Amino acid sequence: MKEIKLHNVVPEIFASRVDLRSDIWNREVILERGKRYLIKAASGTGKSSLCSFLYGQRGDYSGTISFDDRDINRLSSSEWCEVRQRSISILFQDLKLFGELTAMQNVEIKNNITHHRDMAQVVQWFEELGIGDKLNTRIDRMSYGQQQRVALIRALCQPFDFLLLDEPISHLDDANSDIMRDIILREAERCGAALIATSIGKHMNIEYDICLNL
Amino acid sequence: MSLIWQLLRKHISIFELAIFFIANLIGMTVILAGVQIYSDLQPMLSGEKSLIGNDYLIITRPVERMGIGTPTFSDEDINDLNEQPFTINLGTFTASRFEVDGSIVFNGQRLSTMLFFESVPDNFIDVKSDKWCFSPGDTVIPIILPRNYLNLYNFGFSQTQQLPQITEDIIKRVELGIRLEGNGKRSDHTAYIVGFSERLNTILVPSTFMDWANSEYGEGEDDGHTRLILEVSNPTDPELTAYLEEHGYEIENKPAESSKALSILEVGAAVIVGIGVMFSILSLIILTLSIYLLLQKNITKLENLVLIGYSPARVAMPYNVMALVLNISVLIISIVAIFIVQSIYTGHISEWLGITLSAIPTTAIIVGTLFTAAIVTFNIFIINRKIREISSRR
Repeated sequence: MKEIKLHNVVPEIFASRVDLRSDIWNREVILERGKRYLIKAASGTGKSSLCSFLYGQRGDYSGTISFDDRDINRLSSSEWCEVRQRSISILFQDLKLFGELTAMQNVEIKNNITHHRDMAQVVQWFEELGIGDKLNTRIDRMSYGQQQRVALIRALCQPFDFLLLDEPISHLDDANSDIMRDIILREAERCGAALIATSIGKHMNIEYDICLNL
Repeated sequence: MSLIWQLLRKHISIFELAIFFIANLIGMTVILAGVQIYSDLQPMLSGEKSLIGNDYLIITRPVERMGIGTPTFSDEDINDLNEQPFTINLGTFTASRFEVDGSIVFNGQRLSTMLFFESVPDNFIDVKSDKWCFSPGDTVIPIILPRNYLNLYNFGFSQTQQLPQITEDIIKRVELGIRLEGNGKRSDHTAYIVGFSERLNTILVPSTFMDWANSEYGEGEDDGHTRLILEVSNPTDPELTAYLEEHGYEIENKPAESSKALSILEVGAAVIVGIGVMFSILSLIILTLSIYLLLQKNITKLENLVLIGYSPARVAMPYNVMALVLNISVLIISIVAIFIVQSIYTGHISEWLGITLSAIPTTAIIVGTLFTAAIVTFNIFIINRKIREISSRR
């Protein structure tokens, strides 16, 4: 996938707002593979909605979103399945981890369908991110910051052209945030992928190509 | 154990599944017992190999007054009867119009008695023997006796007279002397008994012999047919009963209760299968509700699995496998149960009727497999539909 195009997209809840001043809503926006985007937003401006729209999780918007000129509303469930395994990876704001599985199992459950990473690489990431001792700990016994790191590792267990990061470091200290940034940049480079990170203030220390205010 | 199963088995209610399992097991076993018993017993009560049944009626006109001349059926009567919807086949009895003297030599002594013969078309005879043939010029005449003659002798006469009982085989080897006399001629023949009829209560000879003998020795005019044999599909057909009553005909051999037994069997089997189907439908409702509840309880996990790239089919798989395993276990257990039930009743049937039934409940296996396939298909359909619904919610 080379580009994601947003054409006059407005969330339904904002449809009646006349004072909408945004770089994204109700505009023509093209997100290209290989570039780094930061989407800055105050809370309540529809940041998570944007991620949900791009990931096909929600469809409550007007306008058109297309992947390489294909309207995403036309994608079948098997095409979405393909997109979510090969083209777009996401780090959800609410993480969407499985509480009753261990940290490692949460990563494995993704890697089992993509077979993209070997376990040695996964363990190495756990070590780098300072949670090497938590491999076999149940997710619901871990802190939110630790869970955020597990969710990132899971997101990296697939090939991608776009990596969506919805407030990726909201619960991380600066040191861990930098480690995370290094891993993300390395993997994005390797895949030639675009980074799309959202932030309500605290954001990763990256040189972004484009900064958009939501 | 796969991770996805580890996730999705949560909230599976063993209690609900156990209720489904038991209800479906009862339903399936009852249905299969119904169809198996029906398919085992049905051929005995209908069709050509009818064991208890008798779809042949022997029809006479009542003797109304003392005197000469027996009531007979005219050609018109026969044609009319032939055209009735209940008639499958109609045959006439032909009586001998000559004197018959039968004799046997017993302990060097010749015992003789007057006899009479009758014949009916071969397709009405329930005895199969390759000796049942006669062409003019043959000296040997085959004879069929009613089985109750033999029974009367063996279980009545011989016991009171301290005479030995005789078997069919022995009696078939006894040579009988037959003298035919009439029309100014006389001739001697040898006769053998070739079989015993359950259906025809008369001394039968082949119709070829009867035609020849009547033309050689017959005296007087052919005075029509005194008895008819009628093949019907249902001897208790009300139309038939009404017809016979209207014409004042009598049935000589009251039909065995076979067709009543058959209808009782049919109704019985239908009731049993109906009860079974009710159980199965109930169990299916329980399973459907249980699956819906289970999917509802696991809905977040199902949604998340789809969001991280699982296809709805892959997510549905553990539940499909669960439905398959449950239903196939039910099928196997119920077939084993039918196998046991069948071995019990076939044992009794063999004892009573002296016949052997297949020891494998083929009908139950076929019906059960089809039924299970239908239930599994239905289960998989609702599981997949629900999961597609969850995964395409946007």
